[in-house]
Amino acid sequence: MKCNDCLNLLEQYVDGEAPERDAEQVSAHLITCADCAREFETFTGEQEIYARYDRELEIPQSMWGIVAARTVEHSASEARSRSGSRQWFAGLFTLPRFGFAFSSAMAVLIVAAALGVIYLRNHKELNPPLIAGGNNANPLSPPTKTTEETNPPAIETSTPPISPRAMEAKTSKSNQPARKKSVAGDQGGVLFTDAAYTDIEDRDTASHLEKAQDLLISIRNIKSDDDEEIDVTYEKSESRRLLNENIVLRRDAEMAGKFPAKSVLGSLEPFLIDIANLPDKAPAPDVRQIKDRVQKTEIVAELRSY
Amino acid sequence: MKRLAQELSLEGQPGAFAGSLMNSSADLVARACQGDQEAFRLIFERYSRPIISFIYDLVGDRELAEDLTQETFVRAHRGLKALREGAKLSTWLFGIAKNVARESLRSRMRHQQRVELDDAAVLDLSDRGPAPVDQLLDRELNVVIRRSLAALDDDKRVVFTLKIFHQCSYEEIAEITGFSIPKLKTDLHRARVEMRRRIGPYVRV
Repeated sequence: MKCNDCLNLLEQYVDGEAPERDAEQVSAHLITCADCAREFETFTGEQEIYARYDRELEIPQSMWGIVAARTVEHSASEARSRSGSRQWFAGLFTLPRFGFAFSSAMAVLIVAAALGVIYLRNHKELNPPLIAGGNNANPLSPPTKTTEETNPPAIETSTPPISPRAMEAKTSKSNQPARKKSVAGDQGGVLFTDAAYTDIEDRDTASHLEKAQDLLISIRNIKSDDDEEIDVTYEKSESRRLLNENIVLRRDAEMAGKFPAKSVLGSLEPFLIDIANLPDKAPAPDVRQIKDRVQKTEIVAELRSY
Repeated sequence: MKRLAQELSLEGQPGAFAGSLMNSSADLVARACQGDQEAFRLIFERYSRPIISFIYDLVGDRELAEDLTQETFVRAHRGLKALREGAKLSTWLFGIAKNVARESLRSRMRHQQRVELDDAAVLDLSDRGPAPVDQLLDRELNVVIRRSLAALDDDKRVVFTLKIFHQCSYEEIAEITGFSIPKLKTDLHRARVEMRRRIGPYVRV
């Protein structure tokens, strides 16, 4: 190797970057060439000088604390922004979640419904159905003045006080508080629960059917074994009133598409018509015929099942 | 020689406890990427000294070097996941440090401030009492080297610092600086010539 070649490679040789073959040739040349060896010593002398270079730098104790605080803060803010952007982005593609608001609203509705049921039950107890109340409130009792005003004069004038049979039936009913309560309980608790009332119309229908049911039970309980005439004045007037109501409710049910209600009311109507057309002193066979129909058709059960 | 070994080695930092030496850089990076702050602390302990030295050589200001070292590690933490597999952590950190220092130098240039070495404290030897000749010589030499480095242009200073003080290979310097191998060889050669002209008398001594 010539000196020029050696000096050209010397810097790479000192840096440890010369190829292995070149490095071997430089090493061999440095042994034999004093000038090149002196140049090499200059390089190594400089390296020693640079190695002694002391910047007198120390890493301050607080530096890591500052770095750590900044990195932690950055990580937290990044997590917040990532979470925020993710939520915003996810919100674009997700259905609205009602979560707590929805469950709270449901809870309020349930409580309100429960309070409503309690209120209506209490209201019912304070104003019981006419058939379950005292003499004045009993539907089997003579009609009030208001009712009389609406009745035809012929009927009104021929209306006697309550018949002994009706009184008996009424008395028998009023003397059976447990049974009546049970019926009322069935009506209120199962068949005509207020919770089942979806609107005023349904409530009117239920109330109407309840009264009709009482009327039919009253008819069914009439003792018609004898061939004597039976005083059905009250039943007749009640039936007329219910008949008018029934026609209106049946039409409403038909218009509203409430076919079960319409069907029940339609089944009830012939009985109301028959009863309404009875004379005040109805022949026992006529009454019996109606009673038999009531029992055979099980109209009372149908009314209850509604 | 002990100090020399410490200066030249990036992996064996003084003060870094034995446990940290058992963690490879790849392991530390992987753990730090998972949010392990302790792993990042070990990276900091291992590389903070060479990084602050490198930055100080570039900017010539002690306090600024500390601030820029902090910034380097903060940026490194943010970009740790971007460190490609197989890349050398020290090379990557030096690259960040170089960018941070350069940004700072440009900012200072815009503000019409001259980059000067803060060697006043080093030159102030009077209050340190009698010192051995070698110690005085070392202090003087430190000032000379510092001034000589400051006299180099930016590219030469970066290349020279990485090669002479941090023992980086040409490939690593090329990766850190983005220079081609021929360019960095040329810059390194010219930097050596300039530095030799300044420190030559001390070499002969």
